[in-house]
Amino acid sequence: MITRTFSHLVLALIVFIWIVPFVALVSTSLRSETEAKTSGFWTAFTPTVLGHRFSTHDKGSTVEFIEMSGNIFDRLNGEKSGFLVSGEVQSILIKARIMNPDKPGKTKLIRKLVPAGEPFETRGGSLVFQSNGDFTWTFPEATAPKPKKLDVFINQDPIFGADAYIEVLFDNKNVPNALISSFIVTIPATIIPITIAAFAAYAFAWMQFPGRDWLFVLVVSLMVVPTQLAFLPILQGFSGIASWATALNAWLTDCEINDSCQVASKSFASLWITHTAFGLPLAIYLLRNYIVGLPKELLQSARIDGASHLQIFTRIIIPLSVPALASFSIFQFLWVWNDLIVALYIGPNNASDLVFPIRLQKQLGTFKDQLHLLNASAVISMIVPVIVFLSMQRYFIRGLLAGSVKGG
Amino acid sequence: MSLNRKLFGVAAFAALSSVCGAAQADVCDTPSALGDLGDFSGEVITIAGSMEGKDEEMLLNTVSCFEKATGAVVKYSGSRDFAALIVADLRSNNAPNIAIFPQPGLAADMAKEGHLTPLGDDLANWMANNYGAGSSWVDLGTYADANGNENFYGFAFKMDLKSLVWYSPEQFEDNGYEIPSTMEELIALSDQMVEDGNTPWCIGVESGNATGWTATDWMEDLMLRTTSPENYDRWVSNDLPFNSPEVLNAMEVYGQFSRNDDYVAGGASSVATTFFGDAPKGLFSSPASCLMHRQASFIPAFFPKKGEEVANGEADFFYFPPYASKELGNPVLGAGTLWTMTKDSPATQAFFNFMSEASAHEAWMSQGTFLTAHKAADLSAYATPALRKQGEILSNATTFRFDASDLMPGAIGAGAFWSEMTAFANGQDAQTTADNIQAAWDAIK
Repeated sequence: MITRTFSHLVLALIVFIWIVPFVALVSTSLRSETEAKTSGFWTAFTPTVLGHRFSTHDKGSTVEFIEMSGNIFDRLNGEKSGFLVSGEVQSILIKARIMNPDKPGKTKLIRKLVPAGEPFETRGGSLVFQSNGDFTWTFPEATAPKPKKLDVFINQDPIFGADAYIEVLFDNKNVPNALISSFIVTIPATIIPITIAAFAAYAFAWMQFPGRDWLFVLVVSLMVVPTQLAFLPILQGFSGIASWATALNAWLTDCEINDSCQVASKSFASLWITHTAFGLPLAIYLLRNYIVGLPKELLQSARIDGASHLQIFTRIIIPLSVPALASFSIFQFLWVWNDLIVALYIGPNNASDLVFPIRLQKQLGTFKDQLHLLNASAVISMIVPVIVFLSMQRYFIRGLLAGSVKGG
Repeated sequence: MSLNRKLFGVAAFAALSSVCGAAQADVCDTPSALGDLGDFSGEVITIAGSMEGKDEEMLLNTVSCFEKATGAVVKYSGSRDFAALIVADLRSNNAPNIAIFPQPGLAADMAKEGHLTPLGDDLANWMANNYGAGSSWVDLGTYADANGNENFYGFAFKMDLKSLVWYSPEQFEDNGYEIPSTMEELIALSDQMVEDGNTPWCIGVESGNATGWTATDWMEDLMLRTTSPENYDRWVSNDLPFNSPEVLNAMEVYGQFSRNDDYVAGGASSVATTFFGDAPKGLFSSPASCLMHRQASFIPAFFPKKGEEVANGEADFFYFPPYASKELGNPVLGAGTLWTMTKDSPATQAFFNFMSEASAHEAWMSQGTFLTAHKAADLSAYATPALRKQGEILSNATTFRFDASDLMPGAIGAGAFWSEMTAFANGQDAQTTADNIQAAWDAIK
């Protein structure tokens, strides 16, 4: 009983550790830019004291007055449509220079936090504000003062909104385009290797040919080749293929008329091939180990009934291997979906064809200061793998156990 | 899927180009007229560079003037990993037509490997005659090829002024501070701020795999203010070793700013981990976490309102002043991006002719964060008075020097100098830092 409680506690702790970054990401993406920038996500759910800067009135006004009144919240919110600041005004920070009593002839900076209801001097007038944001600025005689900017501390109510998502999805086509490109890359780059691997795995498991085991060892050992090491030769290869394709294109079609013969060496197809090549060793290894564990009697009786290899493969092996196929396709899907570096080096580099991780990286460059937008995009990019995972989860767990338990 | 994709792409492109179309009309309408560049209808020029975000937009707008004039199609791909990607592309025969190098060091390395096409003496002569301090710009773009022959490869376009200190006039007014006109006054002002309980400086050198470059800019500005321009040139070519007293002195002066916990917002230990684009935000936070920020002319793009602050008076800059006691005049530090031809084609050559037109410069000047040394470019084209003021600083300079780290070999200027200055920010002493950089330089000689 005690060990069980303990293991539950450990589990809860692990879940907590894993969930914190996710909560941080989602909550930041739903906050306003200023709040996300000035305070941590854990302060988002309770009223928090935050500093703002507001100006008493608009620049360039020459209207003379003795008394002016306004509201700090109106000044702060202005023309804004979302994320209106509300709460309780606590204090205003004022600074002034006075003669330094310790060092004659020198001045000293004093700073003071003025609470609500207490008047203070600024630009020759007296300004007083209330905690609901109303302020009045009175002068001994009619003047047209320059606007004054003041630091104000507000105990702010929590506020959330989906503005960042709307901006990311609808302001321009970058993120929607990246979503489409990512699907174009990911779906074939998952289906192609798993198809090839299923055939290969069947051959390695159930067909007799000389050198089978050595060939299998060779394929499996290819798993250790790091992708990064192979970029230059792969790119050179694609560039060679592209120039052949260009020549073929020029020979077969009349593309020379409008200069459209050029076949790009960095394309979606290059990504499919590269991801297939680097996904295959693991795919063959996983599927072969699963298929080899299927009951021998089943295949033998099928063969006695006169089934060919292809019939056995499509009628018996494939339906029985669904868990293994599904679990590998999740692996491959996630890996390709999240891949940045292969897409960066080998994928198309037109602005409209960039895959999601590259788009996110570009946003990091431009939006490093607009964390809420970056986070909104990151959440969008996470949704797809989460859906894929949840919908195939039961196969995934069975697939992980594949081969470990007899009859599983 | 593929058809849908294409349709979507076409629709997106059409929507995009119609949106841009409206904006481009004014950008291309420049004081100087664009000359005849020839007709290259349907030809595609590919450009690779490191500009992203707002810079990328402005580049595309400027390039659209070329597209309109010639009918060619320009495709730009920008990535923060440009330096790594371009090397792979060039070595694997996937070169774009034009590569925009932010660092001459890397361009020189690529020229040595034979990946760049010389732009020819005509263009070099043109630049020498038509750019302010023209011959130094030509030198900046001249490298040795695989056989050791010097050729002109890099066309400088889009310059940055580095010797600027950004501040908030409101904050200076509130605190009663004056703009310093000498380095002595600047240091006295910094001390005054500390005494008043303020923090004078925001400094951040983090920049992904280019971390440290902000610190090298500080070093270079201080080199120009503590020793002669001749020594600066000798330093760039390593005739004056990194661990010589002159260089060590400049590093110590930089240390007096950046390694002083009282001077730097967040303390000296935060310098290495603060993103350079986040550092200036301290000027505008409420309450302000610092009052001054030394950074190049491009930095307003990283301000909270993307540079609007400069236009509406919330932010301003002053010239990073020289020591009154050293009598070295008014030195100015700058840099420029270098446009190189990596795959020759007639349309690409026409593009370089386009860049030598005053109109191309004016098109970008009118959009902001673009300075030019082109003498024929109409100064009234500058988007803002702030840019014009930067132009004045440029013309009042008695000494103009290029960013030293850009001129040093790639392994130093984009390598050891950056990483060792980051180590310096993390507490490594000046002597060790200088010795390490010098050792790295000796190793590549």
